[in-house]
Amino acid sequence: MSATIAATEERAALERIAEGVARLASSAPEVDLPADERVRRAKRVFIEKTDARVALDLESCLHCGMCAEACHFYEGTGQGRYAPIHKLKLLRKVYRRELGPFRLIQRLLTRDLTVAELEQWQELVFDSCTECGRCDMICPVGVHLSRGVHITRQALTAAGLAPAELRALDAEQKSTGAILGAGVEKLRSALEELRSQGIEAPLDKPQAEYLLLTTASDLLIYHRSLAATARIMNHLGLDWTFASSGFEAANSGAVSGDETAQRQATQRVVDAALACGAKFVVVPECGHAYPALRWEGPNQVGRAFPFQVLAISELIGRELESGRLRLKPLGPGKRVTFHDPCKFGRKGGVIDEPRKALAALEVDLRETESKGTTNYCCGGGGGVFFIGRAAPLRNAAFNIKRKQFDATGADSVVTSCGSCRMNFAVGAQRNNWNVPVESLVELVADGLAAPGPATDRGSVV
Amino acid sequence: MRDVLVGDYLRGRGVSRRSLLKFCAAAASWMALPPTMAQEIAAAIEKARRPSVIWLPFQECTGCTESITRAETATLESLIFDAISLDYQHTLQAAAGDAAEEARHQAMKENWGKYLLAVDGSIPLANPGYSTIAGVSNLDMLLEAAKGAAAIIAIGTCAAFGGIPAARPNPTGAVAVSDLIKDKPIINVSGCPPIPVVITGVLAQYLTFGSIPDLDRLGRPRAFYGQSIHDRCYRRPFYERGQFAESFDDEGARKGWCLFKLGCKGPITYNSCATIKWNGGTSFPIEAGHGCIGCAEPNFWDKGGFYEALSVSRWGTFGTVAAAAAVGAAAGVASAALARHRQAKAPEGESR
Amino acid sequence: MTLFDFARGPGMFWATTIMVIGIVWRLAGAVLLARHKDRSTPRGDNRVAAGLRAVLMRSVPPHELEKHITFQHLTGYAWHIGWFVTFLFFVPHMPFIESILGFGWPGLPNQAIVMLAAITLAILLLLLVRRIVHPVLKVISDFDDYVSTLLACAPLVTGIVAFAHLFPSHHETMIGLHILSVEALMVWLPFGKIFHCVTGLPLRFQIGAAFARRGVKA
Repeated sequence: MSATIAATEERAALERIAEGVARLASSAPEVDLPADERVRRAKRVFIEKTDARVALDLESCLHCGMCAEACHFYEGTGQGRYAPIHKLKLLRKVYRRELGPFRLIQRLLTRDLTVAELEQWQELVFDSCTECGRCDMICPVGVHLSRGVHITRQALTAAGLAPAELRALDAEQKSTGAILGAGVEKLRSALEELRSQGIEAPLDKPQAEYLLLTTASDLLIYHRSLAATARIMNHLGLDWTFASSGFEAANSGAVSGDETAQRQATQRVVDAALACGAKFVVVPECGHAYPALRWEGPNQVGRAFPFQVLAISELIGRELESGRLRLKPLGPGKRVTFHDPCKFGRKGGVIDEPRKALAALEVDLRETESKGTTNYCCGGGGGVFFIGRAAPLRNAAFNIKRKQFDATGADSVVTSCGSCRMNFAVGAQRNNWNVPVESLVELVADGLAAPGPATDRGSVV
Repeated sequence: MRDVLVGDYLRGRGVSRRSLLKFCAAAASWMALPPTMAQEIAAAIEKARRPSVIWLPFQECTGCTESITRAETATLESLIFDAISLDYQHTLQAAAGDAAEEARHQAMKENWGKYLLAVDGSIPLANPGYSTIAGVSNLDMLLEAAKGAAAIIAIGTCAAFGGIPAARPNPTGAVAVSDLIKDKPIINVSGCPPIPVVITGVLAQYLTFGSIPDLDRLGRPRAFYGQSIHDRCYRRPFYERGQFAESFDDEGARKGWCLFKLGCKGPITYNSCATIKWNGGTSFPIEAGHGCIGCAEPNFWDKGGFYEALSVSRWGTFGTVAAAAAVGAAAGVASAALARHRQAKAPEGESR
Repeated sequence: MTLFDFARGPGMFWATTIMVIGIVWRLAGAVLLARHKDRSTPRGDNRVAAGLRAVLMRSVPPHELEKHITFQHLTGYAWHIGWFVTFLFFVPHMPFIESILGFGWPGLPNQAIVMLAAITLAILLLLLVRRIVHPVLKVISDFDDYVSTLLACAPLVTGIVAFAHLFPSHHETMIGLHILSVEALMVWLPFGKIFHCVTGLPLRFQIGAAFARRGVKA
């Protein structure tokens, strides 16, 4: 399949997905609760989640406002209410009144949490925060702001106040395990397509060393990424498989704060990994999936994993390091810049490996001013891509990224997250920006040094 | 004797006009008046009637009397004692016993409403027996004598503010004159003792103008008590430059550096020690190498120690801080324990 | 008992006692809450080193972050440094410090300190105005922020007034007010945001270690 045709197909698929996303809100289950019940449930979550570390955060903020200066939503809009610390106000209020050392006095001096506040905070912790953690990097005293935002999401979701689109995604994944209709049937047909291209794509092997996950954005839009991942696994000669009982890396509950959904999605993957005795679980180019599984997963299921979780780019880096993977240069003068997806990079710890891959491909890497741990979020992470009314905010964030990219003089942007790709595509269209956004695994697959069993780039099967 | 004019009396005693003018020039200077006033002061003193002064020594150490009456040398100060008619001062007077008391009553009667009452020493209230004169308590004697006085001069910190007897725990219940007398003008001439010429300067002012001098809010003549020792201290430049003696007789002390760190109370003490000085202008405590102890101020005994710098505060001890930390720890531990208990009760988060 | 005697005596004793009780209570009450165990396998074994690194390096953020906070960063450090140098190197303060620590150190000339105090006060007032007009600070600031700022200013104001003898016949009262202003600050310290002086460095350590767990330099 030619690159141009594939790209056109991807654009069409993205448009279909965007239309589906726009209808999400209407399919969301209603959560009708009396006001005081909402407050009670939210409070319970705030109280449960505020441990000693969170408490130290809440006791230390000095209202300096520097967190806002690191936030793309504040930078893009100038609106003071988007300051990250402001998002934590309800968490702090409940902590001080219910758990804090001076709670007896605080109860006399402050007003209790209200449902109006909870409703007001929906915009602040969902629409205008991607939990990217850039604010965590700047705070002069070290408040872990993004963690506080996540707890607030969990509280709002428990109170039935998650945005409709996220509630819809939660409901779907809880009942079918899938995101946006990308269920087992879609998986099977996608794998058939791979095999028709001559790419091995094992499914449901009873035993395998590597359990590969995929995600809705790859199954529905970025088929080439799926193909590239499979080709790399095959090229490396790894013993791998997909599992129909647990293939979706994305975790809607990890994003919305719906803990039931989050645990279920994690458990599905863990069960699939245990079933085939996997030593490694490989996460594809889906940002939040990585920290949700690697860093939060063991706490969701209550025990350390007997397997290692690797991002596909992490796996690539490891193989390059050991010399088992060799890549060929992708042609002289390929000027690219790399966008670190916040969930892989700042929240995941996978920062060096993509650069190792790009170095091995001998591309001319032009880094943006903010990169790695200080990279700007694409603006669509943390579920914000799905929230319809957040479009102006996403756009403001996109324009910051655009300026960063344009300043590098690169010809294309490489990233390693489907959510970022979708967000950039929408932003590019809205702002008439023509710089292509490429997938890291696709580039790596293009650069595999020895021809593998799959065909080379550009040939049609 | 009392009807003789002061000028005649002084001439009778061999005091030349020149000496009188020298005294008046000095008095003008102390009162921050222009030198030309000397003539006016001299003219006024000459024409003044010798005022009757009744001096009541109460619960005192006699230091004020000693300070003022260095009678060995004929000083300018002693001139004023020739100018007044000191009708009662039982340390100095010749008469004693009943005769002395009789003389006092006589003077009071003859000059009722016009005599100056000078008091030194505090008045004990806890038990009148603590200090009596001829069997009469200080309190009773003061109340009686104050009734006919034109004005009262409280000489020394004891009379002005209670002084040493009033230092914690004040076992005698010592109080100042102004604590007891509310209906007469009182001039507080504080100091332990006051500088001699400050006394005579106040008297000279009263003689000259027949009125009470300008007083600060503690009732002290602003002419002598209007500026702090610190503001007039010759060692001030060292304070500004941060050069301080760290201990007595160290290098800084020998170089004459500021004594702030050795407890000098100069910044909060108002007196003329740094300008007029003592012993005819010879020196004053700071110049002699010891910090000011603030003796012209109320409660100077109870302002921390004499060797405790002004910036030292009684924050407690390491023991009290440790006790406070223990109290805080107990409260904090209890708070956390109760909070954890509450968190454990909230069931594991089911979102719906 | 004059104002000065109160400030130097019971005032300082109770201010110290309340401050110590408050600090230990608040710290213990927060830090002794439950610690949720993290069952994930950390990336690498350098959490202590990373924590210490964060303690130092949070004061020197990367350029691409720092360029957005430069004014506030510099003025923030400037006034903190000015405040502490004024407190610790003004020679008349030294006996107070010696009475606590048992030792002191050489100070700076009084005129230098007075100028520094005046500059520090000017910066604090400038930042107070900024707090009132800045789009973010306007939204997030509360009673605590304003009280804490005023209590940081008060010792400087009262110190300069006393030092400059603006009320020469009330010098003792002015020094008393100066000491009282410090006592007010001490009493407020455990209950407002000034508490960050106790928790700030440990919290930096905490976030450095937390992110290092994931292999991220924070």
